Amino acid sequence: MQPWTFLAPFLLLFVAFLLVPLIYAVYISFFVRRMGVLYFVGFQNYITAIQDHQFWVSIVRVFFYGVVQGVIMIALALLLALLLDTKWAKFKSLFRLMFLLPYAVPGVFASILWGFLYSKSMNPLLHNLKFNPLSSGFLLYAIVNIATWEWAGYNMILYIASLTGVSTELYEAAKLDGCDEWQLARFIKLPLLKPTIVMTCILSFIGSMQLFNEPFLLTALTPISPDFTPNIYIYNMAFSMTNLPYAATLSVFLALITILISVIALTVNRLWRRRTPTAGAGASAAPAA
Amino acid sequence: MAQHTGSATAQMRERTGVVLPQANYRAVRAKTVATQSVVTLILFILAFYFMLPIIWILIASTKNAKELSSTGIFSLPSHLHFFENVRLLTTYQHGVYWMWFLNSAIYAVAVAVLTCIVSSMAGYALAKYDFRGRNGIFLLVIASLMIPGTVTAIPLFIVEKAFNLVDTYTGVIFPLIASPFGVYFLRIYIQDVVPNDLLDAARVDGASAARTFWSVVFPVIRPALVTLFLISMVGTWNNFFLPLVLLNNQDLYPLPVGIESLMSLINTPEAAMTVPLYPLIITGSLISIAPMIIGFILFRRQIVTGLTQGSVKL
Repeated sequence: MQPWTFLAPFLLLFVAFLLVPLIYAVYISFFVRRMGVLYFVGFQNYITAIQDHQFWVSIVRVFFYGVVQGVIMIALALLLALLLDTKWAKFKSLFRLMFLLPYAVPGVFASILWGFLYSKSMNPLLHNLKFNPLSSGFLLYAIVNIATWEWAGYNMILYIASLTGVSTELYEAAKLDGCDEWQLARFIKLPLLKPTIVMTCILSFIGSMQLFNEPFLLTALTPISPDFTPNIYIYNMAFSMTNLPYAATLSVFLALITILISVIALTVNRLWRRRTPTAGAGASAAPAA
Repeated sequence: MAQHTGSATAQMRERTGVVLPQANYRAVRAKTVATQSVVTLILFILAFYFMLPIIWILIASTKNAKELSSTGIFSLPSHLHFFENVRLLTTYQHGVYWMWFLNSAIYAVAVAVLTCIVSSMAGYALAKYDFRGRNGIFLLVIASLMIPGTVTAIPLFIVEKAFNLVDTYTGVIFPLIASPFGVYFLRIYIQDVVPNDLLDAARVDGASAARTFWSVVFPVIRPALVTLFLISMVGTWNNFFLPLVLLNNQDLYPLPVGIESLMSLINTPEAAMTVPLYPLIITGSLISIAPMIIGFILFRRQIVTGLTQGSVKL
């Protein structure tokens, strides 16, 4: 009896606010609503979703965004972590704090800050440059910059934590063998970071699939299409079009795609790790703040 | 002990008998200093990028509407309007901004406290009791970690509507307490840190299960609870999508949703004409960010521990 008493509060909340909504989303995705009445239609909504051009365009857009943003952010985070890990870096903890500080800024406010810096009415410099970061052609990259600013420091911290777990003897040995700092970073640290890099790539890509806050906030400053990202499309489907069954269908669809990507990525990663058993030495290392 | 007081070069000479040429030594030193300066310069430029929006909002919050659109982003106004902007914010719709601030604090603290209690109880049961269904529940918890929060938000809205929980404090707080991450994190921690002998000793002394948990387990796992408290507090303060979907009544908005509602007014010309929206949004954003940034600087050690343990171990 005892364990169930301890589990009860969590299980109750878990079932009521996570499991039931999830099951209900799947349930309602088999219906359509006409004149306020629900009709069972089987997989019709899913067939509609598969043929829904707008939905797939938004998926392709976040895929592209996920790759571009992931590569830029992880490269920057690696540069930060490796630079801070050299013997030349001064004021390490101050720099580390400044790089991580944007992580403390909620996404909504990060979007507002950058949104205003992008906007001609706030940033007179843009008038002279004749460059509009919020123009439709550049908008996606403007969002890449916001997300990179928010998350680069977070990824840097994960890399630093992995590096601090490595014993200094390894570096000493490498130095005795004539490794300079550059070679140390390239041939010792980077391979050691590989498992963490793979993991952050997966996490970053999954996060990108859910892109919502940044474009949603920027709609106040520039026109953004209602199908810009899958989540914006779903939100508009639910609240502007008030088509809840179809919004639920798209939610389930997006969840399945996300889970499928995670499972594939984690499986590939596991097989890869098995092939190189020495990697991951510092993966669960204690961090240094 | 004489060697220890000598300089590095003297030591080297004593040990190896090799005399380092002074000129060469100086060249190496000069090169090191040069590299050091280059690395530090790169770090400074990158730090400028990361601090740029924060510096900007500090300056922008001291300008009035006219100066915002007419002066450069880094030029200070001749007269500081910060307190005037705060007064504007306070009088806007009878102080609804401070209502949002209070709501954010209520959501964040309530979610953090309750998540710690609920997750530690569940984590304890999963870590220290052997019962049928234990592995099944833990697997369910891990599986639900993979489901993005935005996916359940709209179905959650439908379910909450059926139970009259839309537009209530509980409607926002309860879904956030059901934290699979918290349970996962504390189960691992309790399994690693709480010794079985300690629990047995408490039992032998006649402590009830509840007493064992509150007076023995709870104090032992305090470091993990601090981490979880901070993570869920920051997460709730920053959460936007869930309250956006679940709330219509602006008196219940947390800060991000409230400020977003101001942002969306920029496109309605009537509102933009009558209210100085830009100073309101900028000052409102600054005051919303400030507690997070200050808290982050104070608690950076615990937060960083939480970040690295939370994801690296996953």
